[in-house]
Amino acid sequence: MKMLEGLGKIDRRIIFLAMTIAVIFPLLRPLYLVGRVGRRTEELYKAIDRLPERSFLLISIDFDPSSMPELYPMYLSILRHAFAKNLRVIVMGLWLTGTGLAEEGLRTCAPEYHKIYGEDYIFLGWKAGITAVMFGLGRSLKETYPTDYYGKPVDSYPILKEDITYRDIPFMVSLSAGVPGYETWIAYAQTRFGIKVGAGVTAVSAADAYPYLQSGQLTGLLGGLKSAAEYEYLNEKAGYAKAEKPASQLMDSQSLAHLLIMILVILGNISYFAVRRKR
Amino acid sequence: MARSLPLSLCFIMGILMVIQFFIPHPISQSFLDIIIKWVRIIMAFALAIGVRSITFRHYERIKRQKGEWGFSLVTLIALFACAFIGLFGGVGPQSYHRLIYNHVMVPLGATMFSILAFYMASAAYRAFRARTKEATLLLIAAFIVMLGMVPIGTAISPRLSDLAEWLLSVPNMAAKRGILFGVALGGIATALKIILGIERGWLGGKR
Amino acid sequence: MMPSPEILTWISAFLTLFIFSFLFGDNPIYRLAEHLYVGVSVGYSIAITWHNALYPDLIVPLFKQGNILYVIPLLLGVLYLSIFFPRLSWLIRLPMGFVLGYGSGVSIPAIMQASIIKQIQGTLLKPDIIHRADLLLWGTISLIGVFSTVIYFFFSRERKGAWRSLAGLGIIFLMVGFGASFGYTVMARVSLLLGRIQFLLRDWLGIIR
Repeated sequence: MKMLEGLGKIDRRIIFLAMTIAVIFPLLRPLYLVGRVGRRTEELYKAIDRLPERSFLLISIDFDPSSMPELYPMYLSILRHAFAKNLRVIVMGLWLTGTGLAEEGLRTCAPEYHKIYGEDYIFLGWKAGITAVMFGLGRSLKETYPTDYYGKPVDSYPILKEDITYRDIPFMVSLSAGVPGYETWIAYAQTRFGIKVGAGVTAVSAADAYPYLQSGQLTGLLGGLKSAAEYEYLNEKAGYAKAEKPASQLMDSQSLAHLLIMILVILGNISYFAVRRKR
Repeated sequence: MARSLPLSLCFIMGILMVIQFFIPHPISQSFLDIIIKWVRIIMAFALAIGVRSITFRHYERIKRQKGEWGFSLVTLIALFACAFIGLFGGVGPQSYHRLIYNHVMVPLGATMFSILAFYMASAAYRAFRARTKEATLLLIAAFIVMLGMVPIGTAISPRLSDLAEWLLSVPNMAAKRGILFGVALGGIATALKIILGIERGWLGGKR
Repeated sequence: MMPSPEILTWISAFLTLFIFSFLFGDNPIYRLAEHLYVGVSVGYSIAITWHNALYPDLIVPLFKQGNILYVIPLLLGVLYLSIFFPRLSWLIRLPMGFVLGYGSGVSIPAIMQASIIKQIQGTLLKPDIIHRADLLLWGTISLIGVFSTVIYFFFSRERKGAWRSLAGLGIIFLMVGFGASFGYTVMARVSLLLGRIQFLLRDWLGIIR
């Protein structure tokens, strides 16, 4: 009985150490666990896959470095998919401190597919006044973003020679870590202008997105790093991916860390019930 | 005037924007076009609030040499240096501004929340107890999602991920939708209170 | 595999370790990193705001294209700067009133449509439930779940009889919902840690590919 009670007194430092081992060990010695592609990931993947060649895909970077480990791999996968499918990609951001990541992603993926800036893709940067930007894109992209991130007029590039609105964009993805994010896109851009929205979110808010999926307001959802890994797998299966798979590499560690936390919770409960029975 | 003018401005803008939504006439659309351009500009200036709050706070600490004022100096130097470099050296991919972003801001920002994994493990171990029926239910749901979402769950049983997906799509969806209704109604009520001048917290101060 | 030869990667790695040092308790190295982060973030934001927003949206149309109408947002925007002068700081209420009025005005119909009307439609009107029995069952459970959750949050009526049972049912749905969120939160926090471990082991030390 004493031993069972003692299970509730593991030192914090031991827990920290166990956590460190649980995440590092599978990286050094991969377990090659195979996951399954979730239904929601597949929905988003298919929505992009079905777009005709040279369609516009709008990607909104609504996160910053603090959620980068979860959302950045999704961004890379979606970019690779879009470039492989020869879509025209427009990237913008609602989070001021996310602009650097948005551009780094483009600079990583575009050369892999020999895509040319201004022809195949464009980076619009950030603007203040979130809802005003969303309404603006429904009226005229050129009026909302007279220049791209680098300060050059957008109509000086072939990709935006003609002004566009949501009507010309069959699908958009918001990679969001909170507000403003996919909910803002649904509330302001979709309800007024009818654009189809897909989302990639941090796992913390993934469960909250389900009402929007069921109502059809969201088309597909990537929730956290495991969805990013699933997307990488789908890209690879279709022969779209040519480079590394950052999220997939981490899935063994993710599994082991979950297992550790569950074991800890079970141990804590065993000790709790042992103490309670004694009383 | 210090209170009535901003309150009136808020009221007029609020009413106009609600009316605008319901009238898709060209005049109303042109009005929207102008307003959204203005809002984008005005909102850009709002950064001043954040800059003021940080600079004043740290400046005071340095002036009084209070507490660990050396760190405040670090904040202010970093702030002005990064702003100066970005304003005059550009923000493109080859700029020093981006260099600071990639090698200072990104690692710091990305690591800041990653240490929570350790505290969460420790807290879950200490506090996550099946004390009541409700807590047990919460625990079971959490376990199903934790297992069903990662490859090890699929390895144990492929049905686990189906169960997790069902749990998320049916009972979780229902609960979250109920909460969403509450949040939405609260949001609308707050917006109405702001427009009608009942909620005046944003005015701050007494004057 | 060799550690990165890039000095900048080493800087990133040390800053990462500075933050991790918090695990051993609050310490000056962590606080240095924390203060650096705050300063750099705000400095970064100032530059982007100028290059991405103020210059193309205000300076160009007003001063280069001579569009005089832009004086109005300029004046309202500049009033934000009154916050730096205590005597004039009340003037900040004008742009705030403008923006808050605008924001509240546009949010009412938007929230109404996105979070209420569409969500009610989603709960009640699903044509596919006619064709499949399982979907009909899940749809019915969802409907009961939404209804009972809303009842649970209805605090202005005494909980008696059927009302109490419904609220009790609401708690069950809520607990499952919170459990799902917790499960996902565990995943999120672990993922954030993994991202940084991957950086240290792969990009910095070169131990893994």
